[in-house]
Amino acid sequence: MGEVVVARILFLAIAALGLLAALGTVLSRNLVHAALHLVGFFFCVACLFVMLEAEFLAAVQVLIYIGAVAILLMFGIMLTRNTRGDDATSLSGPWRLPGLVAGLCLFGALVFGINNAVSPSGASPWAGEAARPSLVEREGEPAWAAERRRAVEDMGRVVGEEFLTRYAMAFELAGLLLTAALVGAVALAHRDEVGAAELPPTVEALPADSAEPVGTAAS
Amino acid sequence: MDVGSALYGTPLFAQSHRVDLTVSTCVIWGLWLIVGFAGLFPGIVAYMVWLERKVAARFQDRIGPNRVGPFGLLQSVADGLKLLVKENIVPRSADQVVHLLAPVLVLVSAFLTLAVVPFAVGLVPIDPPSGLVYLIAVSSISPLGIFLAGWSSHNKYSLLGAMRAVAQLVSYEIPQVLSTIPVVLWAGSLSLVSIFDHQVAYGWNALNPPGFLAFLTFLIASVAEVNRTPFDLPEAESEIVAGYHTEYSGMRFGLFFLAEYLGVFSVSCVATVLFLGGGTPLPFSAFPVNLLDGSVGSYLLVDGILLAVFSLKVLLFVFAMFWVRATLPRMRIDRLMNFAWKYLVPLCILNIVFAAIWYEVVVRPGALTARNWAWGMIAAGLPVVLGVQLVFRANRKLAAARAVDADWPTVGTIAEASR
Amino acid sequence: MANDIPLSWFLYFAAAAFATGLVGVLLRRNAIAVLMAIEIMLNAANVNLVAFWRYGTPAPGAGPLPGVILALLVITVAAAEVAVGIGLILLCYRRWRAVDVDRYETMSG
Repeated sequence: MGEVVVARILFLAIAALGLLAALGTVLSRNLVHAALHLVGFFFCVACLFVMLEAEFLAAVQVLIYIGAVAILLMFGIMLTRNTRGDDATSLSGPWRLPGLVAGLCLFGALVFGINNAVSPSGASPWAGEAARPSLVEREGEPAWAAERRRAVEDMGRVVGEEFLTRYAMAFELAGLLLTAALVGAVALAHRDEVGAAELPPTVEALPADSAEPVGTAAS
Repeated sequence: MDVGSALYGTPLFAQSHRVDLTVSTCVIWGLWLIVGFAGLFPGIVAYMVWLERKVAARFQDRIGPNRVGPFGLLQSVADGLKLLVKENIVPRSADQVVHLLAPVLVLVSAFLTLAVVPFAVGLVPIDPPSGLVYLIAVSSISPLGIFLAGWSSHNKYSLLGAMRAVAQLVSYEIPQVLSTIPVVLWAGSLSLVSIFDHQVAYGWNALNPPGFLAFLTFLIASVAEVNRTPFDLPEAESEIVAGYHTEYSGMRFGLFFLAEYLGVFSVSCVATVLFLGGGTPLPFSAFPVNLLDGSVGSYLLVDGILLAVFSLKVLLFVFAMFWVRATLPRMRIDRLMNFAWKYLVPLCILNIVFAAIWYEVVVRPGALTARNWAWGMIAAGLPVVLGVQLVFRANRKLAAARAVDADWPTVGTIAEASR
Repeated sequence: MANDIPLSWFLYFAAAAFATGLVGVLLRRNAIAVLMAIEIMLNAANVNLVAFWRYGTPAPGAGPLPGVILALLVITVAAAEVAVGIGLILLCYRRWRAVDVDRYETMSG
């Protein structure tokens, strides 16, 4: 029973930190601080994935969200000429109350749903669901239990197998989407010559006619 | 797959695939944290610094540190003490919390990388089934710390250095990750222990053509990942003072210092495990590992051999990095990016195909035979040579099509200035 | 592995995080902050997906990992969305010299 208590306390701590970080993201006036809170939130979510026994997903979460998305957001903040990260725009004045009400209403609706809906198979309300399907090998277990045990033990491999067999179409579409996003992002952010001419001169717009650059590779 | 814990039944430090919150795991992790991460690795870093100063001094025909202790051996201790007691100056306009958080993030990222490295049989803190993804994930935290360091200092050189650093780290992370894919393909697992076991059975990964190419790209990308010369643009002192740690002093600077050398150590460890067969002394034999018979004595013997050879290999890498640092000048930022995106990334992507050829010819038949090996060397070696040729030729042709440095902003040449 | 945290706890966390994200989208006017709030919402959805995967019994033919696969796809889409979103924000910033979403009003009636 001790283990359960430890796990529950751990969950509560992580969830509380995660929610605080989410609030910090939404409320902090400084964009870099907001991004930093967002990193904290991502990390808490990764911890929750570990508690749900999906550590492969947790690693992917850290890799993509903290390693790539957060960095990209920071770059976005810097590239909009906002090196201090101060948010000059206000929280929308007239929208403040409706926004808060909408958030609270959504939360209330979701909590109501969690407490009252029955699971799709018609078994029992989710609110009472406390025991997750065991991963310990047993006699006479259904086939999916063995499959799932294998999936949890070696998630990287099973994810690969699933992606190349059952979800091959989704995998291909995701690849297509990523390619399109790559090309699209480059095309959008690319500064073409016409656009550069309208802007005040920047470093890139300086004449580049001289042949030899000033030596930079000093040792 | 699970050879590590199933066969060698003397788990001094248990490799568990699953995290259980029992007391014994907590004790083991506590031991690792205290012994390894608080005592051992900082000591290793201290002597790496000493070694680097000695090596660099040799290269420059000097003596190097020789005042504190015999051969200057206590120099690092003295430096550490100095950093600890030095005044810690934080700019008033700096963002205080973030300024403190940044070096901690960088250091944590370097420390966490070491948590999945199998130093010897059974001597690995944790062995998650997706260890390599974990490794890549935690090492991708360090750009964030570096960015925050540069941003929080409120100094243009810091910010410039940080932006450079992040651009460089993000770019070189891609070839670094792509070059580990062949290894994963051959071992059929993301766990570093399985990768080690695979190399015990099939020879070191660096000793076949696609593996060698992957090894080289991994090394280059790793040197760039830890900001060492010739890729030390983030802290290029002749251009941007000291880059992202311009405004750091005292022990906070010490943390960056520690993180950098720990990063060198950990990429050397990872390269050893992924490509040079961990601690095995002979490339195509299971030499020390097959001595295991379940008794504690054999376990200690084998781990002794493995650890010694492992440290030798790591030392070799570390020395190579010092060597490069002592001999090569710094790269230019645009060339640095070109090299990552136009040379390393295409090479790595081609190399995955070559690795598949090697897998089909050598690994899939089941066991390593001389005939398969020879066929594999031909069938995978030729494409590797041709692929490297292709990438370099194509890049030369592309570069020749446009004027030299046409995209490099200039403010007038030296010749004009002196005229 | 008898660590039975109730499923509903994960759902409460996800619901609260999603509501926070929604409030962020509605309240913030800085485009990048809006993007961050959207990321919070996507992550909350992911927590739900993985929690239901772990606590529920899979539908026949769905394979061992339906929730995790869907979460991975959501992560992919989120990454693509951020890349394109930042590109768009940069473009809008160049045109209007502002990152305030209320200033992008050329298309409004």
